[in-house]
Amino acid sequence: MTATPIRVLIADDHPVVRVGLRNMLQADPLIEVAGEARDGVEALELARSLRPDILLLDLAMPIVAGMDALREMTSGNLETRTVVLTGLIDNRQILEALQLGARGVVLKDAAVEHLSACIRAVMQGQYWLDGRPVQNLVQVLRDLAAQTAPPPRKTFGLTARELEVVTLITEGCTNKDIAKQFGISEETVKRHLTNIFNKLGVGNRLELALFALNHHLLPVT
Amino acid sequence: MPMNETILASVVFDQLQQAMACDPPGFTELYRDYLADAGQALEALHDAVYRRQAGELRARAHHLKGSSLVLGAREVALCAAALEESGQSGDLQGTSAMVDRTRQALREVEAELASRLGFAVIPAEKTGAV
Repeated sequence: MTATPIRVLIADDHPVVRVGLRNMLQADPLIEVAGEARDGVEALELARSLRPDILLLDLAMPIVAGMDALREMTSGNLETRTVVLTGLIDNRQILEALQLGARGVVLKDAAVEHLSACIRAVMQGQYWLDGRPVQNLVQVLRDLAAQTAPPPRKTFGLTARELEVVTLITEGCTNKDIAKQFGISEETVKRHLTNIFNKLGVGNRLELALFALNHHLLPVT
Repeated sequence: MPMNETILASVVFDQLQQAMACDPPGFTELYRDYLADAGQALEALHDAVYRRQAGELRARAHHLKGSSLVLGAREVALCAAALEESGQSGDLQGTSAMVDRTRQALREVEAELASRLGFAVIPAEKTGAV
């Protein structure tokens, strides 16, 4: 009895790349190339009609880019698992691809070495990154998120309360508004403002607002 | 003779050759198509630099980078990546020299392939000079 082959759809806009990938995959008796797509739209159409086990998706394709196709794939309730094939990819893109449902990422220059193993691993329910199967996806996601997080906000020695006051000032709040919001007296707000002005070297509320904007003092919303 | 790894990655060439062992003419044809396509891409890159078309430069360089990576033409891929980045940023300074470097790298790939696969790998419309 022979095992059912893994059906793969190749999506890449470059004909030479498609031929190269097809030949690499056909050398694996467990893999069958079910079809080839030249752009993101065709990839989605063929994924829906051919129902391959694996979509091998180039991230940079015309008409519908790879990430958008990936998003469509995930929302389309297809059982096809997507492996992203790319020239270069940064951690932010890897994180985005995984969050959009990609099961593996293979670099084009490592395709001949890893593609077959990646596809087999993904079919066994594993994820594939950095040329090997991933044992702990949660940890990988956590690490990637930590590496791609924006640098911590520079605070210029302001306390947490003073930073909150700065935020409200930039929103146009008066001292009375701020006092009311924090349940403190206007005198205390004035003291906070004096401290803030001294620490930042600004002379009035407008300068403070501009400083806050220019130096990214405001919380990211 | 050992392969020049910077020009053509032996791991890629050998494994691909092994994968296509039952179809040697197909293997040669694959690399011939690559050389023909890369030659055209090179002309388009040259044009894009001459016309200062950053978007076109980025797209063409990306195209060349992809096929070069898959087929192991590392130096060409590196040059194409640099051109793609220039096109992306819009700063085209030094791109003319980079296109020349890409052309040289492609000539070396062609020579390497010809020594491995014979002159059948050279695209018909060319006589060896990229």
